[in-house]
Amino acid sequence: MSNRDKPLRFHWSLSRVGDNLRASRPIGEHKGLLSFEAQVDFCRRAEECEIQSVLMAFGFTRPDPFVLSMALGMKTSKLKFMVAVRSGVIAPTLFVQQINTISALTNGRVCVNIVTGHIPAELGYYGDFLTHDERYARTDEFLSICRAFWSREGPVNFNGKYYRVEDGRVNTPFVSDEATAPEIYLGGNSQLADEMAIKHADCSWRFPDEPEKLRPHIQPMIDHGKEVGLLVSIIARPTRAEAVRAADTLLQTVGVKSKEFQKEFQRTCDSVGVKRNFQLAESNESEWLTPYLWTGAIPYLGAPAIALVGSSEDVAAAILGYKEIGISQFLFMGWPDLEEMDRFSKEVLPLIRRHEQGARSETQSDRMRKIS
Amino acid sequence: MAGEASGLTRTMMYNRVETSLPNLPAQIEFCRRAEESGIDSLLTDFGFSKPDSIVLTAALGMATEKIKFIVAYRSGLLGPTIFVQQLNTLSALIKGRFSLNIVAGHSPEEQRYYGDFLSHDERYARTEEFLSICHALWKRNGDVTFIGKYYQVENARLNIPFISSDRTFPEIFIGGSSPPAEKLAINQGTCWMRIADAPARVRAVIQPALAAGIEVGMRMAIVARPSREEAVRAAYLLLESLNVKSSDAQGECEFVKKSDSISIKATYGLETEWLTPYLWTGAVRHLGAPAIALVGSPEEIASAIMEYREVGITQFIFSGWPKLDEMIYFGQEILPLIRKKEMKLERQPG
Repeated sequence: MSNRDKPLRFHWSLSRVGDNLRASRPIGEHKGLLSFEAQVDFCRRAEECEIQSVLMAFGFTRPDPFVLSMALGMKTSKLKFMVAVRSGVIAPTLFVQQINTISALTNGRVCVNIVTGHIPAELGYYGDFLTHDERYARTDEFLSICRAFWSREGPVNFNGKYYRVEDGRVNTPFVSDEATAPEIYLGGNSQLADEMAIKHADCSWRFPDEPEKLRPHIQPMIDHGKEVGLLVSIIARPTRAEAVRAADTLLQTVGVKSKEFQKEFQRTCDSVGVKRNFQLAESNESEWLTPYLWTGAIPYLGAPAIALVGSSEDVAAAILGYKEIGISQFLFMGWPDLEEMDRFSKEVLPLIRRHEQGARSETQSDRMRKIS
Repeated sequence: MAGEASGLTRTMMYNRVETSLPNLPAQIEFCRRAEESGIDSLLTDFGFSKPDSIVLTAALGMATEKIKFIVAYRSGLLGPTIFVQQLNTLSALIKGRFSLNIVAGHSPEEQRYYGDFLSHDERYARTEEFLSICHALWKRNGDVTFIGKYYQVENARLNIPFISSDRTFPEIFIGGSSPPAEKLAINQGTCWMRIADAPARVRAVIQPALAAGIEVGMRMAIVARPSREEAVRAAYLLLESLNVKSSDAQGECEFVKKSDSISIKATYGLETEWLTPYLWTGAVRHLGAPAIALVGSPEEIASAIMEYREVGITQFIFSGWPKLDEMIYFGQEILPLIRKKEMKLERQPG
């Protein structure tokens, strides 16, 4: 079964739950500590909303994603936690041990989002002084070692430029009913990120663009049997007019001052994807890359604020349009996340599932015809 | 009260190829019993053969209300900034209910599993830098820049603080008996955690640490029974029940030979089995240095503990076989005697 025949999988970011408009304020003012009760509440709702996992972001403004995932895992029963990690902050053996421990305590409800870091100054906080390309080379070694541990084919030996492991063993295995290793997602929009995803990942996260512009970028990944997912915000309302109005209201709420913080943030950033999104927002005549893909919030709320905006039907159609070109997973954000996730699951998701079921029974009857 | 697996010789632990899976319901039950027994905190050990101690503490802390945890960790596994971030997150989730047991590691072989190839003394030097950076981050007195031999961080800051009702950073136990361990404990720790020895010998050794204003603790096991005879019998039965094969004893010898821990070598080299009438080293050869044990009746063990208190020891990490039964017995029979003796001391000042 190719990805196109499988039901789409949906994830949501937990990174702003409890502080929804954090991106509109200077980064130093972001609360490191958000309401745990709000996060538990969000996770339980996510389980009801057919959300498969929540993204647990990594960064100096945030709580640690491993520890927070474990705590939330104790309060939930179905949801998975997509733990973001950068190579260079933790030894691969210990990383595997921490992930395996979470899996053993939550029955496999953990997956991994490998990020390479996008603010060189912040990397220095963690003692990481490598360049963008060197970070990818290190991540390559990091994941090779992790994969070796998860294959459980005996002690792990690795002698690389950045890591050395001798007879490495971790007695706590990855525990899951479904797999012997966590699913590995890899974020990034550069050429190196693509190569890394093909080599080590199960799915690569990208920012959206017009489907036809995305197609050549994602095709190599799909040809190598990897999945591609989109990291995108969502504003779905009963009608397109209401959705556009909600988008306008959002910008008024965050105010123009947030543009200064975003400019400053962008200046300190060396991510290809982030820079590209800001360019898209600045250079295009229209804020609308397609009738439903809106870049208007990017200058205010950052690169992940690129958004699908429209009626439930519009947004469902846009998502299915991406499915057509081979996208198979989505990682959403919203303002506020909880209400948007609720609307998505009640209004948008049923349309998608209905269409997918229709498409599947069509292919089945096509096959039946061929057989007879 | 140590939470590590008991009843397995170290050789068995190392040679076990089978998997190590945490039994969460049993561990939560153990935590609750510890709360009832008047135990302040439980040690969650670190090692390749165990689940990760920070993640496990997060899970156990979410399921309990009062008990604290002693999270064992080493430098050389992760950067100090993410280490503090993990601990601060843990503190926020479980109201600061943990302390740290920083160990330098005692098996060069195991350290290489984690990519750590430094020598004994270098590991202490690295841990010194590691904890300096941790302390600087916990001070929350501006961005942290540190250029050391093992770590460099530039303008480091974390938005999540350490959360606790009574502290701005966790208590830090430093394990180890070597001079570098003592120096590290005095420079960076709040308590120097030693393997037990006879009180008379301990007194002189711990003076510099006490004078420097840190606490000193002992790690040891307890075999307590209603009478001394029963306790001694239980101790020897333990040796038999371990079913110590000569190959196992051989294996433990091999382990000690490969280990570069001063205290493990010292404990192993002890000549007599009874260092005092109540301090027994018989299980050390099979269960490792922390198996040096107080053996006796509740009254004898309470008195022995008070002797340590008299020379300046203020904390104890105990283990037992089986550890749950021993802990419950300690809480019921020994701890009340200790508290009574402590009250008597308070009533007779000086």
